Amino acid sequence: MRSPIPIFDCHGHLGVHPDFPACKHTPEEMLQVMDLLNIEILAISSTRACYSDCPRGNAEVAEVLRKHPQRFPGYVTVNPRPPGEALRELERWSHFHRPPLIKLHPDLHQYPVNGDHYRLIWDYANQMHAVVLVHTWESDPNCGPLLLGSVAHEFPQAKIILGHSGVTWRGYEQSFEVAASASNTFLDITGSQSHRTVIERAVARLGAHRVLFGSDMPYLEAAMVLGRVLSARISDEDREKILRANFACLLEE
Amino acid sequence: MSASAIDPAFREVATWNVFDANVRLGHSGVYGERALGTDDLLKEMDRFGIRRALVSHFAADEYDAEEGNNLLAEECHERLAPAWAALPDPLIIRKLATRHPAAVRLSYGVEKHNFSSAPWCSGELYEYLEEHSVLTVMAREDIEWDAIARLLGNFPRLQVLLLETGYRANRYLFPLFKQHPNLYIDTSTYVAHRQLESFVEKFGPARLVFGSRLPLYTAGAALAVLATARISDEARLSIAGGNLRRLLGRGSQ
Repeated sequence: MRSPIPIFDCHGHLGVHPDFPACKHTPEEMLQVMDLLNIEILAISSTRACYSDCPRGNAEVAEVLRKHPQRFPGYVTVNPRPPGEALRELERWSHFHRPPLIKLHPDLHQYPVNGDHYRLIWDYANQMHAVVLVHTWESDPNCGPLLLGSVAHEFPQAKIILGHSGVTWRGYEQSFEVAASASNTFLDITGSQSHRTVIERAVARLGAHRVLFGSDMPYLEAAMVLGRVLSARISDEDREKILRANFACLLEE
Repeated sequence: MSASAIDPAFREVATWNVFDANVRLGHSGVYGERALGTDDLLKEMDRFGIRRALVSHFAADEYDAEEGNNLLAEECHERLAPAWAALPDPLIIRKLATRHPAAVRLSYGVEKHNFSSAPWCSGELYEYLEEHSVLTVMAREDIEWDAIARLLGNFPRLQVLLLETGYRANRYLFPLFKQHPNLYIDTSTYVAHRQLESFVEKFGPARLVFGSRLPLYTAGAALAVLATARISDEARLSIAGGNLRRLLGRGSQ
């Protein structure tokens, strides 16, 4: 089983994680799996940056982009703390991609995505028409999807991807609510919870053009999300948008 | 099951003789429209070429064990093998015996059947299950890891199938698998990057059974993970259904 068309995957990582041992996580091992499943492009952010150290993590991404520029676009991961570091990182790695790809993890960085310390980052994203991938989880005080509604309205030039779409069934409902109210928001369907019919509901509620394939490789299994998309009761045209066209469009804008 | 009912992306699955270890049936007060009755569940299994499933009834968890068992008996089908709800109660054990169970599902959780997994509470039940080689199924969220280790140590002949371990579980699972040959897990939430094939490389395929978590999750996710694992065809068939058939065949049914 593999994708019938080459996939543009909006949600990948580089590195390991503290809470369980990583399997086959090197860029070369990831490329083997990407070829197996027909994933052409995997946009990556540094797991180290999401957890503990943005400057060092972003530097690791830079090295992989240098080796594999055709397969891995790179997000610059930024933390609102300490003050000033985020904008320095965005400038330092501005060559990663245009428009900029920015990764925010308000859960692990333990700061609310709509809090004051994020405002300079959102302002930068708005000015640069950046694509911003935000980790979300249902009703979380730092990264609940509903927190992003006002952000999306205040910074309309930023393209905001709701990473994991809030994860749970109710998290998806919250993400639908935000996405229905703000056209600059998109749903990333990666996540460990493979809710039956949720892709069909997203397409019916928002249109397939607002739904993006994300795998979370090498954290989660990409085939899981591929199986969800291939088995969803949607048209082949909508499936191709989700698998490829939508994120390809965001990368080019 | 007709070939035309199978989703084209999953045609290869029909040749695997899939026996799904993690399915629930019937009306649910918690999951509403996501729950499925027998006919709709069978149609959903047909979409993916799933031949048989080990099922428990939502009513057993959400309301009453015996009521759930009665509904399971009424609503079951020749393609559905019952995993009866069981409690550490002599009367319930006697009723259970009249059903000649091949499998039971234990729901220790305080918001479910609310009982201890320790021998002082459940010892008589475990003795019955051991004596009759009944596959003993439980979800990880209902029992702590230390309690699982004690259960396996105290009742070494008990065949334990642990469902929904999650993908972060390897630091618990690997020591348990090394020490307890009668522990098995389902694949429904064992979904970290390349985790399934890495498990097979370490322990072989005999301790894994395919589980979808239907009707809450789409079976397409877990099936795609199994389909794309880089393991032998023989290992894939064992996980898809052979292992569960072997485990159920040991019971008194």
